[in-house]
Amino acid sequence: MFSNFTNIVHKAQQFIDPTQGLNLSNSDRNPSKASLFQNQFRIPSTQNPLHEINAELTIPPSNQTSGDKDHDRGWHYAGKLHLSEGYMCFSTTPSSFAQSASVSTSSAFTGQTHGGGPSGNGFTWPLCAIRRVERLNSQNFQFALAFTTWNGLLYEDTKDTKAKQDGREQRIIIHLAGTRQSCERFCDGLKKGLRAGVGSVGKLRKVVAEDYSEYLLRTEDRKGISPPDAGLGMIFRYPGDPKKLRDRAKMRLWAEYLRDNGRNVTLVRQPTFHKLIRVGLPNRLRGEIWELTSGSIFLRLENPTQYEETLAKFEGQDSLAIDEIEKDLNRSLPEYPGFQSEEGINRLRRVLVAYSWTNPDVGYCQAMNIVVAALLIYMSEAQAFFLLSALCDRLVPGYYSTTMYGTLLDQKVFEGLVEKTMPILWDHLVKSDVQLSVVSLPWFLSLYINSMPLVFAFRVLDVFFVEGPKVLFQVGLAILRINGEELLDATDDGTFISVLKSYFSRLEESAHPKSENPKLRAVTRFQELMVVAFKEFAGITHNSITELRLKHKDAVLNNIENFAKRTAIRNLGPDSKLLSTEELGALYDRFYNILYDRQQRDMMLQQDKIRKAKQSRARASEIFSGGQDEVEKGRVGLGPSTSHMDYDAFREFLASTSKWAISDSPGSSRRDTMSESDRPTRYQSARRPTESISPWGSGPEPAEHEFLQRLFKKWDVDGTGQLTLQNVVTGLARIKGRRDIMGTITYFFELYDDDNDGKVDREGILRISEALLFLSRRGLEGSLSPSASTLALNGDSSVVRESQGSLAPGASANERFLGSVSAFIRRCFEYADPDHPSNQAIEKFQTEKDAEDNSNAFAIGDDDDEEEDGGEEDLLGFESPSGSPSKATKPPTLATEDTQDSQRSVSKAKSEAANAALDPAHPLHMTLPTFRMVVLADELLEQFFESSFPTSFHVVDGVPSTASASAGGLTTFSSLGFGSRPPVPISPAAAGAGRGLRGVMDGIITDGMRVATEVRRRMDEAQKELEKNALPGQKPDEDEEDDEDIGIAVGVRRGPGGASGDSDSRSVKSSDLDLLSGADAEAGAVKEQEANLADKDLQGGKPLPHRPATTNEPGVVEFEG
Amino acid sequence: MSESAPKPSSSVKLVLLGEAAVGKSSLVLRFVNNDFQENKEPTIGAAFLTQKCNLPSRTIKFEIWDTAGQERFASLAPMYYRNAQAALVVYDLTKPTSLVKAKHWVAELQRQASPGIVIALVGNKLDLTSDSKTADSDEEGADGEDDSGDARKVSTEEAKAYAEEESLLFFETSAKTGHNVSEVFTAIANAIPETSLKSARGAGASNTAAGRSSEEQRVNLGNAQESGSKDNCAC
Repeated sequence: MFSNFTNIVHKAQQFIDPTQGLNLSNSDRNPSKASLFQNQFRIPSTQNPLHEINAELTIPPSNQTSGDKDHDRGWHYAGKLHLSEGYMCFSTTPSSFAQSASVSTSSAFTGQTHGGGPSGNGFTWPLCAIRRVERLNSQNFQFALAFTTWNGLLYEDTKDTKAKQDGREQRIIIHLAGTRQSCERFCDGLKKGLRAGVGSVGKLRKVVAEDYSEYLLRTEDRKGISPPDAGLGMIFRYPGDPKKLRDRAKMRLWAEYLRDNGRNVTLVRQPTFHKLIRVGLPNRLRGEIWELTSGSIFLRLENPTQYEETLAKFEGQDSLAIDEIEKDLNRSLPEYPGFQSEEGINRLRRVLVAYSWTNPDVGYCQAMNIVVAALLIYMSEAQAFFLLSALCDRLVPGYYSTTMYGTLLDQKVFEGLVEKTMPILWDHLVKSDVQLSVVSLPWFLSLYINSMPLVFAFRVLDVFFVEGPKVLFQVGLAILRINGEELLDATDDGTFISVLKSYFSRLEESAHPKSENPKLRAVTRFQELMVVAFKEFAGITHNSITELRLKHKDAVLNNIENFAKRTAIRNLGPDSKLLSTEELGALYDRFYNILYDRQQRDMMLQQDKIRKAKQSRARASEIFSGGQDEVEKGRVGLGPSTSHMDYDAFREFLASTSKWAISDSPGSSRRDTMSESDRPTRYQSARRPTESISPWGSGPEPAEHEFLQRLFKKWDVDGTGQLTLQNVVTGLARIKGRRDIMGTITYFFELYDDDNDGKVDREGILRISEALLFLSRRGLEGSLSPSASTLALNGDSSVVRESQGSLAPGASANERFLGSVSAFIRRCFEYADPDHPSNQAIEKFQTEKDAEDNSNAFAIGDDDDEEEDGGEEDLLGFESPSGSPSKATKPPTLATEDTQDSQRSVSKAKSEAANAALDPAHPLHMTLPTFRMVVLADELLEQFFESSFPTSFHVVDGVPSTASASAGGLTTFSSLGFGSRPPVPISPAAAGAGRGLRGVMDGIITDGMRVATEVRRRMDEAQKELEKNALPGQKPDEDEEDDEDIGIAVGVRRGPGGASGDSDSRSVKSSDLDLLSGADAEAGAVKEQEANLADKDLQGGKPLPHRPATTNEPGVVEFEG
Repeated sequence: MSESAPKPSSSVKLVLLGEAAVGKSSLVLRFVNNDFQENKEPTIGAAFLTQKCNLPSRTIKFEIWDTAGQERFASLAPMYYRNAQAALVVYDLTKPTSLVKAKHWVAELQRQASPGIVIALVGNKLDLTSDSKTADSDEEGADGEDDSGDARKVSTEEAKAYAEEESLLFFETSAKTGHNVSEVFTAIANAIPETSLKSARGAGASNTAAGRSSEEQRVNLGNAQESGSKDNCAC
């Protein structure tokens, strides 16, 4: 039914209100403007585009650089100026993130990065880096703002004038091009942002202090300071020969660029910037530029102490991730000297561990060790930590997740690109059965660090951090293109791999060794690779990658999910063998569907809340973090968010498989008042406050019943308050798997055997009968015999006999079941063992014999069997079309007599005389053999346990559609509250009239439930009385009162059977107890005995000895006969 | 061991599976290069190596796919065991959970890999147990746990019984000392049915036959130092 998750995605879409404009499940296809904006400028996800305006950026001529440009006029760039809560960004790439902008203007980029990173000319400045803004006197009716930044001044106590004199002051001018109104609005927003940013200048100072540029460009008076940590390379040397890399020359160029265009956060991108990156970064600046271009510096600026705090917070704690990290520490770039030292290993450990704590969903993935090790050569621990976050969250999302879906997805994308750009090679690969991803997967996963010599891998990274993940694809394609000839000769994986390995080992060599032209000869293979990658494959853009990812995403996720499902089902352990493969598959889907659905709903509810909160507040002040990125959280293929089912999810799960688990009153309060007292507190906490959107989604609202709680507790073998798939499978296998009635009976019994002592007490018996009613209230399923012939043959319960007689034409098994349950209660109490420490039932029985003898009068005084049977007939015949109202009035009369009788007799009897089993002063219990016997004594109950209960879990097909239909169809007893009294369903007059059978059943069931409740209530009262008063028997008056209550209890509970008073019945009972003591006999035997017993018992059974005023209502009367 | 004799030669694709850090790569390194490294870089995705194994009647050339062991890499595994004719499922005999994982892999292979795949169950790190000192005595294996310095947590009997039940080849090895390593590969080579050798690697068989002829030139990708140790398959 739910063979894959696309169904769910579809389903999820259904309950999104399209007018809300959230487009949740569609976020990839239509990313929010906020996320586009964040990606374009690589700023944290807390930032939203608030204002934007066309503008012209003027960078005044530098007095130090002498370029070809006209010095007087400086540099001018037309573009767009964007303002978010904490950032001001300028870019010459035409894009718009304003609310009014269309999606195409938001997502259409012409810059190098196509929205995947900072591109074009401009800047991304945190507002706290702006020191002063002046409004210039504009000549052309234009708004002109002059910005002065903190560039180079954060550590100065010198006067501005001095800075101005030596030209270090960074001052740019921006002309706003827009209506006066929009300019004013922009300026207002800017003012607000600047004011808010003032407090962050201290943070900024701390953050940039770790950047090498501050040291590189330090002033004369700070010559003595020590350089910041620019990675392990400062201690262990940077990889490669600095001379060959021309590191000094590069450093000089960068020093000049940074001097002219601002350092770290105040940097302005001009064309030279991108060129300088393409030729490779100088070692000591590499870390800083990486963190700047990737945007991780802004993460660090947001929370400068996060790294240290995380480490401190989790110090000494253990996790699976840490174990995995430890295994790999000694094997991360082991050839680099820094990682043969404790210092390097410790840094690596700290960064990986800190990240695994901040992002437990990712934890640790092999390959991260290699990437982080590489980063640590060039940057400090904190810098590497934030850069790793930027990688995992933005640059290579899903690469290191627990399912590695990002890695697999990008492999599919890569294969698609190869097919498109190099069709001949692709055909060859297919023909030779070479799987490309086997070769290329490590390239992507370790960002080429593991595949190429380090110096070259870092060159790739230099570009990758600016231009984004498309670089990985471009380089990969270029590798294949350059080696195309040789690869076409390779016909198996081995040769294919070896061609590429040898290519990587010769990247340093000349690409054209035989060329006449010395310039061409000087071009290395790596340079050739870069040229091919970025020229020939310039068409591979962020957009095309994004599109291909979307195209393959579902297929990849389905693959992963199928694999996960297969693996999960296979590893479910021995219990799973009891279920069919089909059932297991369906169970798996159901389990994760529910979890997924619930998470989706939670998220929507949350966003709903946020939206509401947002509406009520000023928009600018509200920080709305883009939850859109996590929209599909919960999908198995994307890695785990949860694989545990809490109680509510469990109810929802059951409601999807079993009709009895569906609430009777959809839309009404889903909390049942019943048994609030013994509900474990953790269920309470798992429950969420009332929400505006239906918390159950589109599915039926699950019922709440004590039985569900017991089942949950039973399945939750670890007591965690949450179920795993394994728990659910095991739990269900025990019920559904064996198809063995004894097993099911035992299972049911154990559900109610709270302390596992093999006994169920009075309360438990009542709860069992309530559960039976609960489970049957929507009708029974499975194979039920059409008649109760067995019982009839055995001459058992008049209930059944009578029901056969009077209800035969229309009586369904469901109706008969009610009778069975009431007989069940009766028998349970009858055969229950008194709770005696020695548990010597017979002994106890003997000791009480005298007392019981006294109750003879009480029993004898009652009406005889025939009368009782007649009453019973009334009850059951009542609803039948032939039933006459006049008969219905009979029971009360009887009851009155009974009352008198019993009062009379009770006054003679001692308190315990009524029935030891029912006396709260004499706690009793039922053992498993008794329970079995009682169940097997009734054909319907037997069938219930044999077939109908196990089959009521429709794991594969789900609840039959009729069952989930509206309440009108199936459930007419719409209020099943045990605690509250349902309205009396019948008035005699109406009874004969056209009330449907359904109504009859409702009445009966309601009565049955009410009876059970009443019984318990009475018993509680009796208990209280007993506790309140002196010992029983000392105060006759009170005794009498007690007896009255007990009498009621007897009557009600025993139902038609009444109290067994005569000696015959008692002797049977005693032999019964004998039998029970060795009662593990096989089913048939027990049943027969029981049948006999029941027969005799019934003949001696009496109607109610006592009728309480409170139950003196038609409904009850009818039931009690 | 004479390469000159024109014995029939065929390629066998072999995949290594098992929990992280049980020594999969080390087993391969020992087999291919007769070498051992304490700190082997973790395998990202998979590593590819080749090694020949000379049987009396023929030469088997193993194309070894050494896979990453970390749990989350499991979903990549089908990519690597596709078309494999043999599999080495490795566990660490000082770590019971690794045997559980190994059993999972066996089940996965039996259901998903090519039918007739030869599977060997290998308990590695025998050097950490006490019975490594007393040669090959299988009888002592199980009870030696109380001995000082014996880190064995999985008894030979338990693993062996499981292997028999699932009809797997079974070995306990030490990649560190080299104990039993080449025996594993020889046993696998012997267990590969002739018929499956003829058809080489299924779908791409006709093409691969041509490629095989040039196998002498093929670069072994494992490691730079391995060139001298081509013949140490002790067959």
